[in-house]
Amino acid sequence: MRKTMKGFLYTAAAFAVLNLAGLPIAAQNQTYRAPRAADGHPDLNGIWQAFTTANFDLQDHSQQAGTMWELGSIGAVPPGQGVVEGGEIPYTPAALAKRQQNFTKRRTDDPEAKCYLPGVPRANYMPYPFQIVQSPQGILFVYEFASANRFVNMGKAQEAGSDTWMGTNNGHWEGETLVVDVTGLNGLAWLDRSGDFMTDNAHVVERFTRVDPYHINYEATIEDSKTFTKPWKISMPLYRRVEKNAQLLDFKCVEFSEELLYGQFKKK
Amino acid sequence: MRHGFLASLGLLAVVTMAAVPAVAQTAAKAAATPGTAAASTPPKTPWGDPDLQGIWPGNMGVPMQRPKDLGDRTALTDEEYAKRVAQAQRAAANDNEERAPKDARIGIGPPSYWTERGKPTRQASLIIDPPDGRLPALTPEAQKRRKEARGGLGDPAEWAGRADSFEDLNLYYRCITRGVTGSIIPVVYNNGNQILQAPGYVVIRNEMIHEARVIPLDGRPHVSANIHEYMGDSRGHWEGNTLVIETTNYTDKTSIGSNGVGYNGEGGRHSQALRTVERLTRVDDNTISYEATVDDPQTWTKPWTMRIELKRDSKYQFLEYACHEGNYAMKDILSGARADEAAKASK
Repeated sequence: MRKTMKGFLYTAAAFAVLNLAGLPIAAQNQTYRAPRAADGHPDLNGIWQAFTTANFDLQDHSQQAGTMWELGSIGAVPPGQGVVEGGEIPYTPAALAKRQQNFTKRRTDDPEAKCYLPGVPRANYMPYPFQIVQSPQGILFVYEFASANRFVNMGKAQEAGSDTWMGTNNGHWEGETLVVDVTGLNGLAWLDRSGDFMTDNAHVVERFTRVDPYHINYEATIEDSKTFTKPWKISMPLYRRVEKNAQLLDFKCVEFSEELLYGQFKKK
Repeated sequence: MRHGFLASLGLLAVVTMAAVPAVAQTAAKAAATPGTAAASTPPKTPWGDPDLQGIWPGNMGVPMQRPKDLGDRTALTDEEYAKRVAQAQRAAANDNEERAPKDARIGIGPPSYWTERGKPTRQASLIIDPPDGRLPALTPEAQKRRKEARGGLGDPAEWAGRADSFEDLNLYYRCITRGVTGSIIPVVYNNGNQILQAPGYVVIRNEMIHEARVIPLDGRPHVSANIHEYMGDSRGHWEGNTLVIETTNYTDKTSIGSNGVGYNGEGGRHSQALRTVERLTRVDDNTISYEATVDDPQTWTKPWTMRIELKRDSKYQFLEYACHEGNYAMKDILSGARADEAAKASK
């Protein structure tokens, strides 16, 4: 298996050289060797951010009006090419119906609107930066959105206890790639603002590979037989925030969600 | 080599005792106590910083302010300590009661398996400076501010029973934040504080609410004075083996005290002028001495310092604290208040 993989990589590398100009950045520099962190593995420390419209919709989408006309063009959905390999999310018919229902109720039901923990993989492609802290004791992902964070255990894999929003995260290295196996997800988080979702049955495997000093290639494979007919994959580059003063700031959005959540219970 | 270096450090400490900050003195004092390994060189990270990593919950049982009759005494006598331990044991026993005793006031305490009060120490009060362990006086401006808050009801820390809006509840009940010191002061559960380090950074991660304060060590300036943050803007540096964190750019919405609320007799609300200096020193393998100096000239007439002993617990399970996501209390408190009003109106 490993040999086959290597063979594949060599082929891919040769291919990359031949087609460099025409390939997306993620596929370039397959042979890039990242600087090493103190643990001897590729150094992922830094502040990163995705720049795609994936948080609006993981799949291909045209421009469209938002849910609140009062916001004018600020509330509109920018167009975007999808990040789903093969183009479409392989929903079961029942799940697809649920997704459409979510879409209809997205203004009030999207957990992002409620400032709930964003879950995995969504946390990585929201329009907010996040910081990877690669410590000798494990790898911490700190997200600006909702002060969410998750600790990736790099030691002996731990079984998920109770289900959580950010899941139970076990990591290991496969050469240049950090692989994070996420289980124990509670299935309450959505995957984007369009109502794409998965259940508490989901298993997510993420792969983080530095492809040059300023980019990580991010992939997530999502498996959930209750929702999808087969596992599917998203991929996108994560960009390093290179500003000298880059740092995470407060986006403690609870206070922006309270009127939506509790406004009806206020004294009139 | 190491010993030589340490010996000179020790000498330096003796010579400059008066000038060194309280934490160094604490470390020196602890070193003089037989049986403690203070001032022993703490482990280092692979890149050479003192290694503070691990999970360091605090233990409840030390009041913020010192009872007045203790005066300048910083530690309890055997008798006083025995009383405090007995009190903690009674509290723990109460936690373990499946049902409240018939004559007890029914509270809203958590189920017993939530609680982690820990073992109280002999420390007389969290406040170690001023020497009497009491909060300095409020400035006249702060007294006025507090009195006039919410049209005379006071800060939401003192709830005063009004629940017209979610804004009548404090930031802790709203699951927004407990603030910097409020996230460290030990409380009844979810006291997990995890410290992680990477070159150029220290992260203090707090279990309750879920915070992860990423502290740069590269000497960069603070963010603009136009930016205010609940957890402030922290910059760290090492002074010997002590991590010193200076934090500014606070909001004026958090408070100093347990859970960032400042209940009875704790610090209470500060202003945007607040500047905190935290000092973390690993005094032995399993102990971090955490000191925080609170300097807010618009609120207190002079700076004051508290000290909290954090104990390493390698078995501690750091859980996801999805506070806001499960905040049924907020809906219940508000809708309960509306139901009360409706019932009164129909009488």
